[in-house]
Amino acid sequence: MTAYIVRRLLQGFVVLLMISAVTFFLINLAPGGPSSAVNFTSTASEREAVLKQYGLDRPVVVRYLDWLGHAARGDLGTSINQGLPVAKLLGQRAGATLELGLTALLLATVGGVVLGILAAAFRNRWPDHVVSALSALGMAIPGFWLGIVVIILFAVRLGWLPTSGVFSVGAQFSIVDRLRHLALPASVLAFTLMPNIVRVTRSALLEVSRSDYVRTAHAKGVRPRAVLLKHTFKNALVPVLAILGLVTTVLFSGSVVIESVFGWAGLGRLAIEAANGRDYPVILGVTLLAGAFVVVVNLVVDLLYAAVDPRIRHG
Amino acid sequence: MRTKSGPRWKSLMLPMLAALAIAGSLSAQAQATTPSGTLTFVTNADPTLNPWTPGAVIESNLINTILFDQLTRYSTTDLTPAPDLATSWEAAPDAMSWIFHLRSGVKWSDGQPFGADDVAFTFNKVILNKDLGANNSSVFSPVDHVEVVDPLTVRFVLKSPFSSLPYYLAYFAGILPAHVLQDAPNPLQVASFNKSNPVVTGPFKVAEFVTGSYVRLEPNPDYWGPQPKVKTIVFKEVSDANTQLAQLLAGSVDMVTVTNPTLLAGVEHNPNLEVIRQSQNIWYWVALNQGDPRFTDVRVRQALLTAIDRKAIIDSVLKGYGTVATGPIAPLQKAFYDANVPSYAYDPAKAKELLAEAGWTPGPNGILQKDGKPLTITMPTGQFGYLVNATLLVQQYWKAIGVDVKVNVMEWNAYIQEVVVKRNYQATLAWWSTPPTPDITPYFSSAAAERGNNIPNYKSPELDALMAQARSATNQQDEIKVVQTIQQNVAQNLPYLFLWYPDIITVLNKRVGGMATINTPTAFQYAADWYVKP
Repeated sequence: MTAYIVRRLLQGFVVLLMISAVTFFLINLAPGGPSSAVNFTSTASEREAVLKQYGLDRPVVVRYLDWLGHAARGDLGTSINQGLPVAKLLGQRAGATLELGLTALLLATVGGVVLGILAAAFRNRWPDHVVSALSALGMAIPGFWLGIVVIILFAVRLGWLPTSGVFSVGAQFSIVDRLRHLALPASVLAFTLMPNIVRVTRSALLEVSRSDYVRTAHAKGVRPRAVLLKHTFKNALVPVLAILGLVTTVLFSGSVVIESVFGWAGLGRLAIEAANGRDYPVILGVTLLAGAFVVVVNLVVDLLYAAVDPRIRHG
Repeated sequence: MRTKSGPRWKSLMLPMLAALAIAGSLSAQAQATTPSGTLTFVTNADPTLNPWTPGAVIESNLINTILFDQLTRYSTTDLTPAPDLATSWEAAPDAMSWIFHLRSGVKWSDGQPFGADDVAFTFNKVILNKDLGANNSSVFSPVDHVEVVDPLTVRFVLKSPFSSLPYYLAYFAGILPAHVLQDAPNPLQVASFNKSNPVVTGPFKVAEFVTGSYVRLEPNPDYWGPQPKVKTIVFKEVSDANTQLAQLLAGSVDMVTVTNPTLLAGVEHNPNLEVIRQSQNIWYWVALNQGDPRFTDVRVRQALLTAIDRKAIIDSVLKGYGTVATGPIAPLQKAFYDANVPSYAYDPAKAKELLAEAGWTPGPNGILQKDGKPLTITMPTGQFGYLVNATLLVQQYWKAIGVDVKVNVMEWNAYIQEVVVKRNYQATLAWWSTPPTPDITPYFSSAAAERGNNIPNYKSPELDALMAQARSATNQQDEIKVVQTIQQNVAQNLPYLFLWYPDIITVLNKRVGGMATINTPTAFQYAADWYVKP
């Protein structure tokens, strides 16, 4: 088991190295340049001075090797547009994204699994139809639009919740204040993530419910609810875990949009700003952090498979 | 500039007028002695709290305007230079230097005294240091260096006459504290200053900077002027334009500048909000690359402008918020603006005639051609504001007279790389936002072609000479005369095709008081006068 984990982590390290190379060369091939230099009003002499300060007048390969050398020593470089160390920027923003992402994931998982069970239990009856209509909506509605609609409804019209931000300006830390700010963005993000979980839960449950041991349980006279929750659900969990692994990775891309709409001080907005402003070291930093996150989540999901289904063994 | 008596007189009068105005507003609001209330503004990203740091642009400009005093600021009545950290100034008779007399008793927010050394440091070590690439530093290229005459007097020693210097000193040109930044390897990249707590002389200073969330300002007790009347100013980071307006409607933000007039629908009828139309020295243009021999014929440039129905574009794309441009000097510069120049009213038949005179006649497929080559123009455009829509309309108008236009829509940063950095375009539509000075040298001079802000790469020795003459004028009458000749010259020769002067639309919560209405950058230079209505 330990050997397996070590092996997977080493593979992950290689994956990250490849991500860094591909990202570095792709963003440098893209047209444009850091907005501190490539600015509509900058003159050539202003621009050249800034590019020189950041060593951007050197060939791409030299710059990559230089970056790699520093990264190996734990230095991810300095933001070209913000002048702060990339590691510091990532640290400042990661907490907010984690807070938003984990809350949304929790809401989406609980909501998705409950609705999925409901849909499976009442297959082809009205609760199933309602749930599938909701999922279709969640798939179809773009997050930024839903975000603006809920802001107008809950913040502007009803005035129940704040319009944006992670916490109130200048306020002492307060869990209530945090939750009030979290409510809208986390719900919208969860709503867009949920459909996949609902559908997989429902179909996995239906699949398992047709198996021999479920029929046997029914034949033994076990109460239907017990059959569903004890016999069927536990065995339907593996595909649900698999989709959770996938959802966790799209969580990040979803939060890019949601963070912009809700003025959330997270990595998603940092990534957008860095991409628009061609802030190469920041783009690399965010990409690597996201990559590392995906590697770890996948490993955890694989380990959970084994915990849920004893037939799966990692050796 | 200006005779010795001119600016002196004006700079002495202005503080008196300002004092009268302040006295008036104080009695009107029954004198609040302790600052109270909070004003909240939006910004679209983390600001950089140093006006000269490359990359400190739109997200930082207004905050920095509050924090950093300048030598001059704009008068709230006519946008001429008014006293700020300098109380008066005069040019030498030979126009080769300027003396600025500094305000006495000014302190930095860390308690240290402000003086001539700070001004000399800001110019000699920061702006004129070419290695730093400071924002906007190229406009100060006529300045050789700044000399300290005495602790409260500086002399700007010039390489060539520079009558518009006091205007540029009011344009996002904050003075930096020498004692804080002079030992830094790069004074523009001091994180503890730029991203946390800068030392300033303005009416407010930074109380809290929460990255990604907001910057909170509080009154600066060491401020040289009357103490601010507002207790807290917050700049919230909200990048999405729709969310910004939603926040304005919810009352959680007090002011938003609307760049896209179509978004105004929801706010125009809100009883708490006031929609203000302001004029700034902004002009939109089409540049025709002068490296392309087809566009060096002035008749072709005149024809292409005559073919565009600018009024119709203003009505559709700008929802009427704008006026047809006649040149680079906007009507708000009342003393200098000349409306009596060739104006190229929409006339497609006339456009075709002019092109025929230049040798462009309709080919078999209806496309104009000359020597067997069709008149095909590639026109890159960037995704920013309404540039794409306006470009597509220009394409249609040109198509109507037989010009084949290939529009290439690009992401904004990539567009800048192609058009501004590489000058790789034939025609393109964009705008300049300039200080309210009649000095147009940065956008038109031959020296600014290829490497500077002369995007069309237009080179005219005649225009260069006129602009140099305007810069050496020593009184306003002479300057007005030259500037009128310049306006005639550019309207005739069309280095740029002048399109329109857009109105800037600011939506303000009616509870905000004391804010100058002339335009936003100027309003933020007088933040000490703001108050929150009860």
